[in-house]
Amino acid sequence: MTPAFKPEIKELHALNQDNDLFSFELPLTNKIKIGNHEYTIELREDDIYGVHVMWKKRRYPVEIIRVKQNRYEILFNDISYTFTIETPISLERKKVLSKNTGKNDKLIIRAPMPGKIVEVPAREGAEVKSGEPVIILEAMKMQNEILSSVSGVVIKISVKPGQNVMKDDVLAEVAVK
Amino acid sequence: MGKGAITQARKHAFIINCFMKISTVNRILIANRGEIAVRIMRTAHEMGIECVAIKTDTEPAAMYLDYADQAFDLSEESPEIPVFLDVDRLIEIALATGCDALHPGYGFLAENAYFAQKCLENKINFIGPAPDAIYKMGNKTVARRIALANGVPMAMGSPGNISDEEEALKHATKIGYPVIIKAASGGGGRGMRIVRHPDEMGKMFNLASREAEKAFNDPSVFIEKYIENPKHIEFQILGDKNGNVIHLGERECSIQRKHQKLLEEAPSSALDEELRVKMGDIAVTIAKAVGYYSAGTVEFLLDSDKNFYFMEMNTRIQVEHPVTEEVTGVDLIEQQIRVARGESLSMKQEDVKLKGWAIECRINAEDVQAGFAPAPGKIEKLRFPDYDFIRVETGVRDGSSIAANFDSMIAKLIVTGKTRSEAIINTKKALDKVWIKGTKTTLPFFRMLVRNKKFHSGNFTTAFIEKDLVQFHRSSEYEELIAAWLATKLFADENLQSMTGNVDFEQGKEMNPWLLNKRINRF
Repeated sequence: MTPAFKPEIKELHALNQDNDLFSFELPLTNKIKIGNHEYTIELREDDIYGVHVMWKKRRYPVEIIRVKQNRYEILFNDISYTFTIETPISLERKKVLSKNTGKNDKLIIRAPMPGKIVEVPAREGAEVKSGEPVIILEAMKMQNEILSSVSGVVIKISVKPGQNVMKDDVLAEVAVK
Repeated sequence: MGKGAITQARKHAFIINCFMKISTVNRILIANRGEIAVRIMRTAHEMGIECVAIKTDTEPAAMYLDYADQAFDLSEESPEIPVFLDVDRLIEIALATGCDALHPGYGFLAENAYFAQKCLENKINFIGPAPDAIYKMGNKTVARRIALANGVPMAMGSPGNISDEEEALKHATKIGYPVIIKAASGGGGRGMRIVRHPDEMGKMFNLASREAEKAFNDPSVFIEKYIENPKHIEFQILGDKNGNVIHLGERECSIQRKHQKLLEEAPSSALDEELRVKMGDIAVTIAKAVGYYSAGTVEFLLDSDKNFYFMEMNTRIQVEHPVTEEVTGVDLIEQQIRVARGESLSMKQEDVKLKGWAIECRINAEDVQAGFAPAPGKIEKLRFPDYDFIRVETGVRDGSSIAANFDSMIAKLIVTGKTRSEAIINTKKALDKVWIKGTKTTLPFFRMLVRNKKFHSGNFTTAFIEKDLVQFHRSSEYEELIAAWLATKLFADENLQSMTGNVDFEQGKEMNPWLLNKRINRF
């Protein structure tokens, strides 16, 4: 379950994957202010269109793809957006944390699409140059080379040939040189 | 060598001719599924012909079954290979259901010469070309030889298949880099690799060969000069069993990703009448060289200097055939059936007139934001606007599943206009009203594309998606903000409820969080 937040909290922030912030005052209303105008978001459901949003007199499809703790993936008008919802306190904590970790010293290579591992050209402990293939993944009968975007040393390979992977599964880790 | 092959071909053609006495089409076995099964049955019924479809265990409630006069029930069986790939089983079913003809659609066994041959041997009229023509055009090295012998312009290449890296390197040095390695039995972009430097040859050779073996059960590959940034232009061919062959103009298929077509147009803005006549004549020449009848497609690459090169011939009805139908007014399925009956073409080349413009968007269950990865799922709602300038070809409806083991197509949206720009405007209008719930689709890609300047100019090549596009989907200004609001609302609702159940904020009737919460429980 998601942790409850205290009633004295005055706003919530939706943080997207580029760290852009969308802030909303509590209590949350269905009015959004853009410039001097206020617009209403209406959430509706009917048999013809299913759940949808009415916004500026147009109908948009909306779907929840995934919810995990405070992370929400929302499909709106056929495009998905992922946000973590932060309270002012959790947002502050996040800022402090990201300062301490500093720059990325490890590249985590994830599966860009679901498929089957056909070959692993990289070896644990071996050096890999930027642009070199680490994994060969077959999806829709096409073999795709998954390349390292950095030069470094392969510190971990998490998959074997023949193994099926889902999108975003971790395939390998490379220590950046 | 080339001449010998042709004489051999003629002898072959004579043997095949003996099978041609079969010329009735009263009851067709549809050896396919999805939208193309529906499409074929629609025309067959208009012609008063009965159709038998096959009900499989994978999709026993599929939409195409409703269009059939009889559904042969195989839903209790779980075969190792899909029935649509099982030659013997399909023949058995055709005979058992009293079909005198069979339509293979596209994909599956549509371009399998052995299958076509087996049909004819069993007195089943194969609605498509002769097995001999399928074989010759299906084998790319044989096709190359035939094209060469007939003076068809082609990119330089290896005279036959190449067996190893060393041979590949030898040919590549002669031809000049970049080169492309292609599967001899290939098609659809599989088993293809571009090599820009000798260092990459070993790796690419192995990748192409292995992919070819997996996809086509044949690891043979050959090498060709790689034409940089060409347009993909293909000509629709129509021939009858009496030696008449015409073309129905071209299709522009340059909007593709990893050799998979996404959007097609007819005609192409890159061709003027002179070039159309020239390329069309060559396309007809190739078709005639293999005694082609029924519908087929000759694919060319067109470079920026308007030089064109024969690429391959597809010996089937194509996914994108509707755009040609829209600008010529010809029903290609009807023509295929008439030709199978032995009728001569009712039109001559000079009767073919291109009118207006047509655009087809392939709406697939794919995640544009994840590199077009397949996004199988259940279609909950599928709605199309009722504009008179659109035509929809689909094999799914509310409740249908887009299974991972078949293709990811949901629907083809075909839009027409008097001119290209009108067709684009109409496509934009239509795309904004297409409503699909239940899976991610390629809709955001097309909504972006129809607003792209370069697409509007018509001046794009097959490299367009990979090189010219930065953004693969369209999001209008405030959409992310609304999504952020929705996520925040979900979070707030869950947490407030779990605390007090005392929901203390404005909430209109239509704002009932149940609508969304109901969804959450599904995941």
